[in-house]
Amino acid sequence: MHDIADLERRGVVGVFLASEVFADAARLQGAALGFPAPFVLVPHPVQDRTDAELRAAAEGAYAAVVAAVTAGGGAA
Amino acid sequence: MRLPDGLVAVVKRECPTCVLVEPVLRELGAEVWCQDDAGWFEHDDTELELSYRLGIETVPTLLRIQDGEETARVVGWSREQWEALTGVPSLGADLPEHRPGCGSLSVDPFRIDALEARYGGSGLGSRRVELADLEDEHEAMFDRGWTDGLPVVPPTLERVLRMLRGTTRAPGDVVAVVPPDLVECTVEKVAVNAVMAGCLPEHLPVVLAALEAACTEEFALHGLLATTYFSGPMIVVNGPIARRIGMNSGVNALGQGNRANATIGRALQLVVRNVGGGRPGGIDRATLGNPGKLTSCFAEREEGSPFAPLAADRGVPGDAVTLFAGSGVQPVVDQLSRTPESLARSFAACLRVNGHPKLPLSFDAVLVVSPEHGRVFREAGWDRARLVAEIEGLLTLDADELVRGAGGITEGVPEALAGRKLPKFRPGGLLVVHAGGDAGLFSAVVGGWVSGTTGSSPVTREVRA
Amino acid sequence: MRTVLDPTGEQQASVRELLPRPASLRGRTVGLLDISKPRGDVVLDRLEELLAAGGAVVRRYRKPTFTRTAPVDLRHEIAEQCEVVIEALAD
Repeated sequence: MHDIADLERRGVVGVFLASEVFADAARLQGAALGFPAPFVLVPHPVQDRTDAELRAAAEGAYAAVVAAVTAGGGAA
Repeated sequence: MRLPDGLVAVVKRECPTCVLVEPVLRELGAEVWCQDDAGWFEHDDTELELSYRLGIETVPTLLRIQDGEETARVVGWSREQWEALTGVPSLGADLPEHRPGCGSLSVDPFRIDALEARYGGSGLGSRRVELADLEDEHEAMFDRGWTDGLPVVPPTLERVLRMLRGTTRAPGDVVAVVPPDLVECTVEKVAVNAVMAGCLPEHLPVVLAALEAACTEEFALHGLLATTYFSGPMIVVNGPIARRIGMNSGVNALGQGNRANATIGRALQLVVRNVGGGRPGGIDRATLGNPGKLTSCFAEREEGSPFAPLAADRGVPGDAVTLFAGSGVQPVVDQLSRTPESLARSFAACLRVNGHPKLPLSFDAVLVVSPEHGRVFREAGWDRARLVAEIEGLLTLDADELVRGAGGITEGVPEALAGRKLPKFRPGGLLVVHAGGDAGLFSAVVGGWVSGTTGSSPVTREVRA
Repeated sequence: MRTVLDPTGEQQASVRELLPRPASLRGRTVGLLDISKPRGDVVLDRLEELLAAGGAVVRRYRKPTFTRTAPVDLRHEIAEQCEVVIEALAD
C-alpha cells in the first residue's frame, strides 16, 4: 500500500491485490495513511493452491482490478 | 462546569502568597482548585480549564458563587478584602495585612494559545482537516498540494490563533479577492498560510498589506500568474515596521537567511497558491519562472539613503509595501565611477538590456542601488527624481537601432517607427530602491513584466496594525 | 489525532485524492509489480494474459522483498514507464 501511495504521487494510477485476510488491515492502513489506496481481494489462502485455482482467482479478480484503475469501470 | 454555591479559589503551589493563605482557605472550607499540584487541595486544575474559563489572571483568586454565578472576586491576599467577600472576621490573624499574588498559569504566554485552541471556541471558520495516524504531518501537507515544494509548518489551531495576535483585524474580515479562482480571502486564511510559510505574528500585517496590493486591478495578479513570462510578486517594505519586525535591508538583502524577508514573501505566494488556486502547471504557465517565485521580499535601506523612502515618494509615507512584478536579479557592476553622471551611464547601459536591448516601452524595472553607489548620488545631491530623469534621458533610444532586422537581429520594433525617438521605460516604469550591505560597488536590476495597462503596474499600500 | 486548518479557498476536498483514472486500459502501459511472495507470480501471469488480451501493454516488475517498500529506483522506473500499476499479491 505504501508503494501504491508513492506511485500515485509520481503520477501512476495504482491498485493492489491482497487475499481476503488482508481486508481489515488494508482498510485500516489506508485510513491511517490518509490515502484511500484501492485494493482488490482474492480468496485466502494463496500459497497452497494449485496453479489452476490461482488462475481462476486471477480471472475472478480481473474485472474489479480493471474497475479500480479506470474511470469507466469497463473491460480493458 | 457548574460551580457550587459558596467560596471557590484558584491557587498554584509555586506561588508564595498561595502557600501563605493555605490555612485561611482550609479554615473557610472553600473549594480550592490548584494549577500545578493535583494533590495539594481536593480539586485538580492542572489542565487549566477552570482557570481559563473563569479568566483567572492572578493567583490566589477567591470567588463568591451564588446560584452558579460569580458575584464577587478578589485577587492576591488582602485581609480586608477577604473579610468583606467572605463575611468572616479576623481571617489569618498571623498573616500580614496584604500580599500581592502571582501570575496565573492560564495567562502564561506559552500556554494561552493552546488553552484558547482547546477551550476557547475560537470562532475560526476554516475547515478542520484531521490527519491520519500514520501520516507524517509534513508529508500530509505535500500530499494535499498545499506547499510550494518546501516543507511548511502545519497550521494547527493553536498556531493560527497565535498568528492572529499579530493583527487587530477580525479573522473574518475579507482582505482581498484572490485570483485566479477569485476567492474572498479572510484575515484567517492569510494567517493559516502565514503559519505555513513560517511567519511570526508580527509579520502578519505586512503579509496582509502585500496581499491587498497584489490583488488590486493595477497589479493584475491573474495575468501575472498566467503568463509564460518569468515574473512573480516582489515586495519592498518601507517604514519603521521593517526594523521592528527584523527585516533585512542590508547585507544580502535580496538573498536568503532573514526570516522576515523569507517568510513574508513566501506567505503571499502560498495564499495565491492555496486560496487563489494559482499553481504551476495549472494556471501558472511560466516557461522558466524565477527563484523569486518562492519568495521575494526585502526592506529598503532608508538610513543613509540618497533617496526619500520609495513608498513615501509614491504617496504613502510611513509603513508601507510596494509590490512589483519581478523577474529575477541582474547584477550591475561599476567599481570605477566616482561621479553621478558616470554611474548613471553605467545604470542606463545595464537597464537598456532589460528584456531585450531592442525592445523599448515593454518592460518595467526596479534599480536597486547599493550603499556604496548610493553615496555617489548622496554626495552630489541627486535625489530619486534626478537619477530617474538622467537615466530616462540616456535611454531615449534611436528607433533606427531598434527596428526589426537592425543589428542583424530580427527582434525589434516595427519598421514604421524608424526615425523616431523611443523611451526605454514608460513614465513610472523605472523604480529606484536603496538596499544592500556597506561594501560592494554593485547595484542590481530587477526586471519586470509587461508594463502598464496590458500588464502590471507597481502598487504601494499602507501597512496597518 | 492531529488537526490542521485548511489553508485553501475550500473549493475542493481536503483529503488526498486518487489520480484521475483513464477511461480504459486499451493502449495503456500497465505495470505488474510482484511483491515477491510465493505463488503470487501465478496470479500475475494470468492477469498479464487477460490485460494483454484487453489491449493493454504489460510490463513486469519485481521488488526484492514483500517486507519493505519498493526501492526508489524501482518506483522511479515504474513511474517512467507505466501509466497504471497493479501490485500483487499480499496474503
